[in-house]
Amino acid sequence: MIHLAAALAPWLGLLAVAAPGGARRAHAILVVVAAATAGLAIAGAAAPDEVLAGGYLRVDATSRLFAPVIDVIFFGVAVHLWTRAGGAAALVGTPARRRRRVMLILAFGGACNLVLLGNDLMVMWLALEVSTLAAAPLIVRLDDPASRVASWRYLLFSTVALGLVLVGLGCVTRSVHAAGLEPSLRLDELPGLLAGPPDAWRQLGVGLIVLGLATKLGLAPMYSWLPDAYERAPSSITALLGAVQFNAALIVLLRVVHVFRPGSGALLGGELVTLGLLSMVASTASLIATRDVKRLLAYASVNHGGVIAIGLGLHREAAYGVLLYAMSNAFIKAILFLTAEKIELRCGTRDARAIAGLIKDLPYSGVFLMVGTFALLGLPPFSSFLGELLILSALVASDELLVFAAFCVLITMSFVATGRTIFPMIWGQAPTDRSPARQSALAALPKLVFLLVLIVLGIYVPAPINDLILSVATTLEGG
Amino acid sequence: MSALLVALTAVMLLPLFLGSWRVSLVGLAAQGALLAAIGYRLHPDTAAPATWVLLVDLAVVRGLIAPLALRPVAVVTRQARHDIIPPNLLSWTLAVGMVLVAFRFADVVEPVAGDARMMVGVAATGVLLGLLVLSTQNGPLGQMIGVLRLENGIALFELGSGAEPAIGVHVAQLVVFVATLVLFRWYLHTLPVDAAAAAAPGEEAA
Repeated sequence: MIHLAAALAPWLGLLAVAAPGGARRAHAILVVVAAATAGLAIAGAAAPDEVLAGGYLRVDATSRLFAPVIDVIFFGVAVHLWTRAGGAAALVGTPARRRRRVMLILAFGGACNLVLLGNDLMVMWLALEVSTLAAAPLIVRLDDPASRVASWRYLLFSTVALGLVLVGLGCVTRSVHAAGLEPSLRLDELPGLLAGPPDAWRQLGVGLIVLGLATKLGLAPMYSWLPDAYERAPSSITALLGAVQFNAALIVLLRVVHVFRPGSGALLGGELVTLGLLSMVASTASLIATRDVKRLLAYASVNHGGVIAIGLGLHREAAYGVLLYAMSNAFIKAILFLTAEKIELRCGTRDARAIAGLIKDLPYSGVFLMVGTFALLGLPPFSSFLGELLILSALVASDELLVFAAFCVLITMSFVATGRTIFPMIWGQAPTDRSPARQSALAALPKLVFLLVLIVLGIYVPAPINDLILSVATTLEGG
Repeated sequence: MSALLVALTAVMLLPLFLGSWRVSLVGLAAQGALLAAIGYRLHPDTAAPATWVLLVDLAVVRGLIAPLALRPVAVVTRQARHDIIPPNLLSWTLAVGMVLVAFRFADVVEPVAGDARMMVGVAATGVLLGLLVLSTQNGPLGQMIGVLRLENGIALFELGSGAEPAIGVHVAQLVVFVATLVLFRWYLHTLPVDAAAAAAPGEEAA
């Protein structure tokens, strides 16, 4: 029940903002609701498994593991927006416009929480679609006409992606119907319905569902919406897209892998590894070419999505590493995108060639960019290092040596490409004509918390979290 | 049923060859009406609320609201022609080829001849032609027409799947579809006619 409260809190907050007088308190309501949601999600991590809403929702290890991750990040972004409400691009404009945007952010958070709790693939699809509809207008910046096009491309690709998923679900339903069974898309009923050997409908359905979800995650070949949307959106919204919605879509993929791996493991594995490698190739080439900081981080997100897809495509050994990597990836993206906003505001550009000496010019942001980039590149002691290492070990253990070799080459190239663009921004010569920037500790607090979580996950995974990860990993292994 | 499906295939295919936004929107309306007629044939129980939700979805939302939502913006653009696929032999061949591929696909996955197989063929035609329109359009209006064609193909596919979604889920789907149409209208008012040319979103910040 505590998880249901967490999922409903943003919707109640939305009603409060929509009520008369809500516009004045919109930011405060957003922060209070996000804090309540995060608190409930953390408290619910130890709650027992339960089925809710007539079986359409349920609490299990996966929702208990990921709810605190996305809700803590949602809270951090809410605090970030609150501290920057006066000038942040996400919230400029008239009070009515600000109110609309806060309502959309709350709808987005509520929908992503419902994805986590979904026990029916159709309910998860609906919640993901609602989160997309809420996010699309948030990408638009008043000061950037190109952001409208980026926003439209995001909606267009997402609609097509979710359309493919819907066709895939229809194929699965037909497969069950053809076997003479009563069709259902409930996660707890599907394994029983799919016990027989897979037919053409099921294989087609699995292929389309994975392709659609891969597109929603920003994996190649249909990833071109992601760099545009991440670059053009206000950075706080980019953090929500990259850290919160990415994980919501990933959870749908985890559920799909769990349900369909027993009968369609080879198809799932082959498709995921292929899409993952394609994404790594495409993003590495773009990482080498780009000098725009936010676009670079967007391509790094595609790269990381590829790593996760490859890990998920492997059978047994990589599940723990994938989960650790996905969790750390969420915090890394949140840190880096929120930092990118501060840097852009200070320097007036996102071009890495025009930015230098951040460690002196913007000490907090310089440190966050530096440490975040180390985590992004998968250096120890961060959990991304451990996750990547486990995925690499799994590649060797699965005798996927060609994939292993390609993975190593691509990850090295992306390492060099990212480092050569970002490191001069941190340690280069700072402009001498600028007065030191004023940086509030409260604005830095969310990023500091994210950083602490990253380090804790990398050095020592606390026993309760470790148990949850192991439990989710077991479901992914089909055990 | 077969006559309805043949008619639906015709209204999916013919507007591609006529470079007019009016014909495209009328085609969408006709698709909605035919889908509603097929839906009524499959679920004739008018005492069931689920039937009414289905008919409102297909006839009212897809057949009326969707084309009407796009119409005022299409009028404002005042383009004499609005081809939703390039008007050349290659595109036309691709479109006809996709119809053939869709029906061949139906032969493979539905071994028994009949309405079920034909529904799969027509639904696959709708999905493939929707993707063809999407892949050849730069402007938002054409892309939206592509998305709506794709959605109509998916709706027919769901109709023939043999499973009836819970009424709550269907209503939620309908609400999401209407919200998508509202967003489409907003984008049509705010986006340039040729979004791809106006955006150049890939250019570097420098």
